[in-house]
Amino acid sequence: MVQTRTIFFTTLILTLLLGACSPAAVATPLAEENPSAADLSGIKTYLLDKSSQLTSSSKSLKEASDEYYTLAESAEFDYAAMWESNPAEVSAALTEAKSAWFAASPLYEQMEGIVAGTPSLAEYDVILDAGTSGEEDPEGAVPFDLTLPDGRVLPKPGNLFGVLESTLWGTYADFTTGIEADLDNNGTIDFGEKLPDANVLKAGADALDMYTTELGTASSEWQPTESDAFTALVVMVPTMSEYFNSWKNSRFILGDASEQRDFVVISRLADIQNILGSLQIVYSEVKPLVESTDAAQATQIEQSLANLKSFVGDVYAREQSGYQHTPEEADVLGAEAQNRATAIAGQVAQIAAQLNIQIEE
Amino acid sequence: MKVTVYRFLIAILVSVLAASNSLGAASAVSVSPAQAGESIRSALVQAQLTLSGDPGASTQLVKEAESAYQTGLSDSIAASDPEAHLRVATAFESLAESLSRRDAASFAAARAQAWTGILAGSYSVVEDAIQSGDGQTAQTWLPLREFRTATRFSRPNVGATVSVENLMEGNSSTEATLLSVRADVLDTYQARLTESLHDLAAADANGFATRRAELATLAEGYFFILSPAYLEQKGSTSLLAAQAAFHELWLSAIDHPQQLSEKLVAVEAALGNFRAAPLSPAEQSRRAGQLMRFLSLVPVEYGRGVVDGRVTQDIEIQEAITFHTGAYAAFTDLKDLLDERDRNQTVHADALFESLGKQLSEAGTHRSVASPEAIKSQTNELSTVLQELIPEEWLKSSAQGDFDVIASMLDQMLVAVRNGQYDLAESSRLDAYAIMETGPEARLMVFAPELKLQLEELFWNGQGTSKGLAYLIKNQASYSEIKATRLQLDVHLSEAQTELTRNTAPTAVAMNAGIIVFREGLEAVVILASLMSSLKSAEERKYRQPMWLGSLLALLATALTWLLAHEVLQSLARYGEKLEAVVSILAIAVLLLIMNWFFHKTYWTSWLANFHATKRRLLNEETGLFLGLIALGFTSVYREGFEIVLFLQALVLEGGVPVVLMGVIGASIAVALVGMIVFRLQKNLPYMKILVITGILIGSVLLQMVGSTVHVLQVVGWLPIHVIPWFDLPYWLGTWFGVYPTWEGFVFQLAAMVFVIGSYYLAEGMRKHRLSSRSHREALKPAPESQLTPKSAEF
Repeated sequence: MVQTRTIFFTTLILTLLLGACSPAAVATPLAEENPSAADLSGIKTYLLDKSSQLTSSSKSLKEASDEYYTLAESAEFDYAAMWESNPAEVSAALTEAKSAWFAASPLYEQMEGIVAGTPSLAEYDVILDAGTSGEEDPEGAVPFDLTLPDGRVLPKPGNLFGVLESTLWGTYADFTTGIEADLDNNGTIDFGEKLPDANVLKAGADALDMYTTELGTASSEWQPTESDAFTALVVMVPTMSEYFNSWKNSRFILGDASEQRDFVVISRLADIQNILGSLQIVYSEVKPLVESTDAAQATQIEQSLANLKSFVGDVYAREQSGYQHTPEEADVLGAEAQNRATAIAGQVAQIAAQLNIQIEE
Repeated sequence: MKVTVYRFLIAILVSVLAASNSLGAASAVSVSPAQAGESIRSALVQAQLTLSGDPGASTQLVKEAESAYQTGLSDSIAASDPEAHLRVATAFESLAESLSRRDAASFAAARAQAWTGILAGSYSVVEDAIQSGDGQTAQTWLPLREFRTATRFSRPNVGATVSVENLMEGNSSTEATLLSVRADVLDTYQARLTESLHDLAAADANGFATRRAELATLAEGYFFILSPAYLEQKGSTSLLAAQAAFHELWLSAIDHPQQLSEKLVAVEAALGNFRAAPLSPAEQSRRAGQLMRFLSLVPVEYGRGVVDGRVTQDIEIQEAITFHTGAYAAFTDLKDLLDERDRNQTVHADALFESLGKQLSEAGTHRSVASPEAIKSQTNELSTVLQELIPEEWLKSSAQGDFDVIASMLDQMLVAVRNGQYDLAESSRLDAYAIMETGPEARLMVFAPELKLQLEELFWNGQGTSKGLAYLIKNQASYSEIKATRLQLDVHLSEAQTELTRNTAPTAVAMNAGIIVFREGLEAVVILASLMSSLKSAEERKYRQPMWLGSLLALLATALTWLLAHEVLQSLARYGEKLEAVVSILAIAVLLLIMNWFFHKTYWTSWLANFHATKRRLLNEETGLFLGLIALGFTSVYREGFEIVLFLQALVLEGGVPVVLMGVIGASIAVALVGMIVFRLQKNLPYMKILVITGILIGSVLLQMVGSTVHVLQVVGWLPIHVIPWFDLPYWLGTWFGVYPTWEGFVFQLAAMVFVIGSYYLAEGMRKHRLSSRSHREALKPAPESQLTPKSAEF
């Protein structure tokens, strides 16, 4: 009996000792994203709509690039001979490619605010529109190398819209043949009338087609959260300075003195409006949530976004009417846009903090 | 050209007026101070834009702006900060004068003065409101402020907003709220001041006269907001000198641009070492932690990227550069404080940083490649200088800095994934995990053990459908999948950070150390005490010696690990879990071996007096047995010792040696007591009971070891994971008893139990079989005197 008690106590003491040291909380399963309280389906619908249009434009660009490549291949990549023997088909293919690029680029800008501002999609922004080349900035470079049909590899060549723009309009010597061609047959060689390197054009267009398709898939898998929406607003609204700097250094301000190889055919002011347009869609979806915290602030943010877009729109309209802003004007306008954007991002960040919504780093 | 400009400006005015918040609308309804301020700011910008083309419109805009100020802001600002109010009032006078002269530059300057005056006034209203406990007014006026110029990679500060909200809810004191608001708002304005000076130099280089006037006045205006802090830190004489420098800068920007560079230098000199919102002690520690951690990683990454004088892995060099940049940024933040402690050493450290950075940069561009040894030696030199320079208390609590470094490494991991370099991504993941394990994990084990498990899973293989980083990297998952897990990890890291911030008191650190030692030591002591207590007879007592020897060797090895900790642990920490898995498997194997001997050989055979083997055979068995017992003692103790050293390292940094030692001593006494209790309780029991208790205790420890080892094997991906979804267990069952809700864990634990119990019955069966064979043989022979001893009869 005594022995049994001893056994019992030995075990009991050890159990108590172990138990006393163990904290009382209970394990929680791995945290899952909180389901969104706001209805954010409008953001996804908008994104999928734009993405589908972008995929279609990218396919057109790929087809036109393939046509140009076939022409070059049949001329054994003797571009001068190709142009001399078949100017009409070459012009048609390149005009088609340029117009497809013209359609695709703004479509992407209209979704960039969401793609670049959403952590799980942001990689595509780097690939398609924001990544630099490895030479320019290794840290901000695109994550891919471009393998050309002839076997050459362009390591981290820069974002695909930029690669295609500088190839199609001949602003980067490495991507063109250097052969000028009066593509519109107006009797003069205008800006952008150079024959592109068919290998670069085909590889770039193929990659664009592939990545825009991937982006479409990723977008359809994406379930927007409040954190995504607020992060997109806080991340993307204040990028005005980047776009205005790009604009200040573009041929729209500096003319032929500009050394920029991309953003040469569409003014960054147009891009800014497109980006702000997509952010207005995002904001409209979270506005009810903001209103629940501060109705006045909700209206002010909405109004400020509209004002900013309208401010940029006015400058763009002026530019479209033929006015070339001076560098100092561009500086003043850029600073003003940035001030407004920073104020909006600041307000959104404060509301997010009050709502306890995490802004991703 | 000029006419075109005018037309353009008029067009801008008309359209912007139509689209923007109109002042009329702003004044017609009740507007917040922030809305009023924004209306004034944007109206004055518009007035400047239309100044040359349509001065009438500009005049109207300025009047409306002034009216908006008088209506919505002036009373409160005048009451809280008369000087700020005066600046605004004077600015409006200057604006009117500039309008009459159509002087865009002086208009821009006056506009900047009005705006910074309003910002200064608003800030004073907020401070006054907080001091008088009027949270509502503080909350109403706080939005009339600026934020740091945001970029794609930086986020606006929210500290002031959150703090005022906490004040209103009664969760923050007046003092804490003031500190927090100052840290946020003053930091913002200092950043804005620095930016204005930078832009001023650029505007001057481009010959932009209007921008130059505006930026010089903005800089002076921001300094006006910061001047009370400057006065407090530097004294009135320095403040007067700084104000004079700003005034001269302003004059040169307006009238003598050729002197601007010289005046800028004077202003920058006046601002040297001034930090408007001084770092709090917690921030000092955080920066110091970042500084030392980042610096220690520079030679590690560099060494991986350079072989035989050639850069073989560019991304490793890039990482070394990133860590250097991170360390230097932290150093820069602390520089003024370090400067006050020892100027010469600070300058020396700065020079070493610069030299190191230059060499890294040259390796980055392959211009020239320093040897890894040279980089290591320079880093060590810099590290030594910094350790002498940085106060000890800053280095004590560096958990927050550790989290920053972990975040930076996880960023590197994502960059590598984005570049398709999964091997490098894995390396960064391991580095991040090593920091986690040698830093915050020790404290998490006590204060938030459930988080420890969750973090471990996300760092390694995950659970169920939620895959961990190691699994995803190994399977070359897409960037977005890995990023998603990273984001999940961030959430838990952030929770862990919050949790640990609450527990930094020395008592907490000592208790932490004590619990670690107690928990880790318990297993070893239970095994050893049970076994030793049961070795009672003179014949058996000799088996205690090898166990003592093994334990002693393990203690020595633990001490050696402690001494070599800095060098060894840093490199081994990357393999912490794998190392634990290997040692645990060894320990289980040794334990099984010894149990087999213990239960089936010693007792049965000794009690049956079956020691009549040949001398040679006995010698061989004895040698093997001794080695086995030494190994048992060693693995039981060192397996725990290594982990204790790993965790205590982090705690020593946090609380210092004496505090940690207190915890260790306390826990060691407790562990020894448990050992003595086990020993004592068993001492007076008959052998059969000893055997049962020892069997239960060691069997329990074995089950715990098997469960924990299976878990570690699953964490590192050496065993699959099949979660039992309907079986939710409290985390402490895992931490203390090795019971985790996975099929593999249960199966292996069951197998271990079956093995132990089965081998018992097998041995029993064999014994009975031998006995019955012998009885049978004996029955066939004439029976001599009984050979059975009383002890065996009892058994």
